[in-house]
Amino acid sequence: MARFLAVASAARTVEITALSPLRGGALQENWGLDARFSGGALGGEQRLVLRASAATGVTASLTRPQEFAVQKAVFAAGVQVPEPLFASEASAIFGKPFFIMRRVDGIAAPDRITGDRALDPALPAIAERLGRELARIHTIRPPRPELAFLTPYAEVGPNQQIARFRAYLDCHPTPRPVLEWGMRWLETHIPPPAVPVLCHHDFRTGNYLLSGAALTAILDWEFAGWGDPYEDIGWFCCKAWRFARLDREAGGIADRTAFYRGYQSESGKSIDEQRVRFWEVLASARWAVIALEQTDRHMIGGERGLDLALTGRRATECELEILMLLDPEGNFADA
Amino acid sequence: MRDLPSGSALLALARDVLISELMPLLPEECRPDALLVAKCMAIAQQEAEAPAEEGRAILRKIELLCGQGVDVLRRFAHDLRVGTFESSEPRDRAARAILRRLTVAKLRQSNPEFLAANGFDQPGGVVGRAKPCPSPVSGKRSTP
Repeated sequence: MARFLAVASAARTVEITALSPLRGGALQENWGLDARFSGGALGGEQRLVLRASAATGVTASLTRPQEFAVQKAVFAAGVQVPEPLFASEASAIFGKPFFIMRRVDGIAAPDRITGDRALDPALPAIAERLGRELARIHTIRPPRPELAFLTPYAEVGPNQQIARFRAYLDCHPTPRPVLEWGMRWLETHIPPPAVPVLCHHDFRTGNYLLSGAALTAILDWEFAGWGDPYEDIGWFCCKAWRFARLDREAGGIADRTAFYRGYQSESGKSIDEQRVRFWEVLASARWAVIALEQTDRHMIGGERGLDLALTGRRATECELEILMLLDPEGNFADA
Repeated sequence: MRDLPSGSALLALARDVLISELMPLLPEECRPDALLVAKCMAIAQQEAEAPAEEGRAILRKIELLCGQGVDVLRRFAHDLRVGTFESSEPRDRAARAILRRLTVAKLRQSNPEFLAANGFDQPGGVVGRAKPCPSPVSGKRSTP
């Protein structure tokens, strides 16, 4: 690793002074890597992050070198992300492909961000800032030769996503009637096609860092791809990502107004609430399928873990939300 | 025929000891995993205590709607996928009622905290519902 870093940064030597796993990252391994560079592009002490793939993953994840390329593109677009530095496809160095980025201070823990009352006064401004950051991400549009590996939007639009969810459920041992009902609604209410943009596809509380009241980084680009910009807006607002504050509909940190205001001011476009609603329902269906896939990693993927084993249970939370979104007049009194 | 305390009572006791007596002694980095262990124990306890009658009652409702047969839950899921009940308002209403009952029953066992956070089983009733969504949204219906 030291030799790799030296060559990549044109340093004379590199001494790794610390390498330890960081918490967080359900799908990828993140390691804190401290190193002393002699000369080259990074001369001096550096605090870095090494991001590598976990043993098993879920479908739709980018490889680490692909994620690196996405992160470079958004960094160049002025989005608040840790500067990506080097990537390697080779397994010989760390046992699997990885990339290196600068380490940024801050907390991502959603329960702390949504539950810490001391943060409350700052959260509407953070939501607005996140809206602006998201609009900046969405300025990246195809074609982009350096992102040619991303699946064309025509192959990952809502129809294709619904088909993929159904194909997954067809192989799943437990029938999911609520998801089937929700997907039926989705397939019969697909909005007109969007002009595709780069979507983060996991833009939510838990995937950004706050240092005090300052947004310091947007993380976890492994699901990025071409999509409808409303995918990210619906995902951010979906109930699954409100954590301790279900009543604060923008990521558990503010009401939607602040988040929308930031997005609209940066993009110059107004928000279509009906379109948000469609993508919010799809977000609940998508998260349900991802949650089930996470538990598959434990059940059949050979990756034993309590967290993975429990995540699939969250699919039922998504199903309740689908029912509440699509059948708001429904009577739960007899349930 | 089993000895007392019951398996679910033992689980509840073990969970209480874990949370109130052992957790404070654990290093900080071990506590998230200990909380997950406590969560697993709670689910196991709630599932063991759940009346089997509720599951059977839901299945009977589904049979009334879809007919009897093997794997009636899968049949119900398939019927929902293809919109079988949409042409009949009473059957559509019955299907929705089953979906609500099924979902709430599962959450009562595995995640009562989430139900409570949404206002279920709380004074004042269900909270946080969305405003009714016009149908269709802004696009075309892509299927009949």
